[in-house]
Amino acid sequence: MANRTDDILSSLDGIQRAKAPDFFYSRLKARMERQLLPEKNAGWVLRPVYAIIALFVVLLINAAVLMRDSQEPSSNLASTTDTETMQSLASEYRVNYAGSIYDLNQDK
Amino acid sequence: MTEQELIKGLQKGDENAFRYLVENYQDRVYNTALGVLHNAEDAEDVAQEVFIQVYRSIHSFKGESKLSTWLYRIATTRALDLIRSKKSKKRFGFMQKLFGDSNEPLMEIPDFHHPGVKLDQKESAAKLFKAIAELPENQRIAFTLHKIEDLSYQEISEVMKTTVPAVESLMHRAKQNLRRSLEKENS
Repeated sequence: MANRTDDILSSLDGIQRAKAPDFFYSRLKARMERQLLPEKNAGWVLRPVYAIIALFVVLLINAAVLMRDSQEPSSNLASTTDTETMQSLASEYRVNYAGSIYDLNQDK
Repeated sequence: MTEQELIKGLQKGDENAFRYLVENYQDRVYNTALGVLHNAEDAEDVAQEVFIQVYRSIHSFKGESKLSTWLYRIATTRALDLIRSKKSKKRFGFMQKLFGDSNEPLMEIPDFHHPGVKLDQKESAAKLFKAIAELPENQRIAFTLHKIEDLSYQEISEVMKTTVPAVESLMHRAKQNLRRSLEKENS
């Protein structure tokens, strides 16, 4: 039995190095591109130049909206107060604006 | 290309240097991973991870050890990580399909046949690999690097960041454990 064990223990003597599978480099490159590309694609968003441009565009849009609003003449709709709007709505739906539509004692 | 030139090329992000590295070290890395994992697909996966890690962290490589030593260290670490991860999954029942109601394995894990073993030694080598898989991690790595990659005790001590006497001790204990395991198997 000792001889058999010795034979097994020495069975790796003279073993040859296993070769990596064919196209190992191509597969490695493909995997690296898969792993590294998403980081690259997302990375440009974080670059300062793009962030500053985006901020500038937002500010420009805000300024344009403000300028347009200040130049527009005041319309009837703009002069209507919230109370008038509510009263007109109340009369249209036949509810008493002064009270609550949930006022259950109204009819008493 | 000298090792220094290769490292400089890699640190500059030179693709030719990276290709040179892979083509010159892929067999060593793959064979090491295969020797530890006993599975060709896992070994290729780990070998790829080794080169990706090298690509990412070559800037932190200070050249205190040889490039091959660094690659062997990453390969063995990654291979052991995969074994631990698989064991952990097994522990939590992800591999319960292997077991039936009587807790007996439904199918045996197939014998591992290393492609570099001589034909007349295949059967014995398969038994030896089975016994190697049961060794503690350090003994397994030392034995694999010595027997499969033919590294000297000095080189193994550099890979494992230990001393030569410590490697000698690991090898001695590994052989004792293997002998015990094989004798138990044969009795």
